Amino acid sequence: MILTAPSFIESLINFEPLRYALIAGICIGFIAPLTGSVVIIRRLSFIADTLSHFSLAGVTVGIFLSKLLSHVININPIYMGVLFSIGGTFIIELLRGFYKNYKELSMTILLSMGVALSGLFIALTPGISTSYTTGLLFGSIMSVDKNDVLVTLITSALILIFTAIFYKQIVSLCFDETHARISGINVRLLQLAITVILAVVISVFLELVGVLLISALLIVPVSASILIGNSFRQTITTAIVFSEISIITGFYISFKLVLPIGSTVALLNILILAGVMLFVRIRKRYVKKSET
Amino acid sequence: MQVRVNNLTFAYTQKLILNDVSFNLESGEFLTLVGKNGTGKSTLIKCLLKILKVPDGTVFFDNVDINAIKLFKNVGYVPQKVEFSYEFPITVSEILTSAYLKVKDEYFNKVINSLGINPFYRDNINNLSGGQFQKVMIARALLNHPQLLILDEPTVGIDNESMLALYEVLEKLKEKKVTIIISTHDTDFSKDLSDYYLELNEVGVFRIYK
Repeated sequence: MILTAPSFIESLINFEPLRYALIAGICIGFIAPLTGSVVIIRRLSFIADTLSHFSLAGVTVGIFLSKLLSHVININPIYMGVLFSIGGTFIIELLRGFYKNYKELSMTILLSMGVALSGLFIALTPGISTSYTTGLLFGSIMSVDKNDVLVTLITSALILIFTAIFYKQIVSLCFDETHARISGINVRLLQLAITVILAVVISVFLELVGVLLISALLIVPVSASILIGNSFRQTITTAIVFSEISIITGFYISFKLVLPIGSTVALLNILILAGVMLFVRIRKRYVKKSET
Repeated sequence: MQVRVNNLTFAYTQKLILNDVSFNLESGEFLTLVGKNGTGKSTLIKCLLKILKVPDGTVFFDNVDINAIKLFKNVGYVPQKVEFSYEFPITVSEILTSAYLKVKDEYFNKVINSLGINPFYRDNINNLSGGQFQKVMIARALLNHPQLLILDEPTVGIDNESMLALYEVLEKLKEKKVTIIISTHDTDFSKDLSDYYLELNEVGVFRIYK
């Protein structure tokens, strides 16, 4: 009898963790560039990175407390990550007030604090495994369970509903804050909502893709699509397509070659970006030539 | 909309820009702000719109102190320079539909047609000429159903045809009792519409005349 390895599709049908991971991945592929577009326009790219590191601190504090208080209360570390991530946005604002010309310092300070706290609480938590901490850094999408998928699906649905309801206000705010305010949009509230959404997205996706790769999924597909887009809607749609291609292909490649999914997906995103850059450069040269 | 400005004074660190400016406008009145570059026309406009905080003096819209207004209603503003995020692609239609929180209706189409925006309605804003871009900014302000319309140098960079279209729009708005404040170097443009002129000079002094 000859034993053959199951195909990707067979594994998807028979192997529950792979199915859950792919569903979560497809959700991320949709939501990450959607959120990432606003992050880029509002020039919050570095905030996303900072919050992911501070959120990591929240998760490690959550793990520490859950071990310490396991007989009293059941704490989900991810919720602690959400709390830290949201708290982090307010700390950034608070720190910004101390500097007139070097406001970005507030983010570096918070990022350092996040990494330091993470290191401290990982060391303080008894019995924490290296594979778990590596998972926090680079993602452990294959370890997602039914509950994680449910949280990812609900978060994604809520973000989609929010975007559908406030799409016009978001576009208005993104492109001209002054006009948005004068035209009667509650800019402060909308800004707060966007920051909270960013904080939630980062925390929920943290376990799946890891703290180091979150920015790659939020930012890189959009960085590629803005180079070839003509309209706001088309640019976001293209970014989602790039993102989904990299996720589905990334799952397939990492399944076939036994590679870490998060890293493979992130590198595929970079590859697409490089391809788009090359295309833009060639197109520019061709247009120049045909003009002369 | 009624506008009352009382003893408005504004200075950038050491330099006095606006010194004790006061004026009243009734609904449907047209004020032209004149003065050389740097005399504070844009600063005055920014103070009225709360883009800059008014340190001294008060501004009332329809007898309500603007500091008490959380969200402006029916105020249209055409800025002198728009700080758009140009690198992120966006079309004219997306700018205008996002500025119109209702579903597109007859009023929306009327504004677009009155300014002749249709030929470049689907274009990316990066491909527009200065005049076309200015028209989009004017349309965006009009979509807000303004009762007070403030325009900062709206005639800069636009051709005669566009200027005429803008004049006709302003004329109609004035008939509809919309209060209009316009800052311009081109006093000829607004001379038949203006009820008042407010002249600012370098030392923060102002003069108002009919």
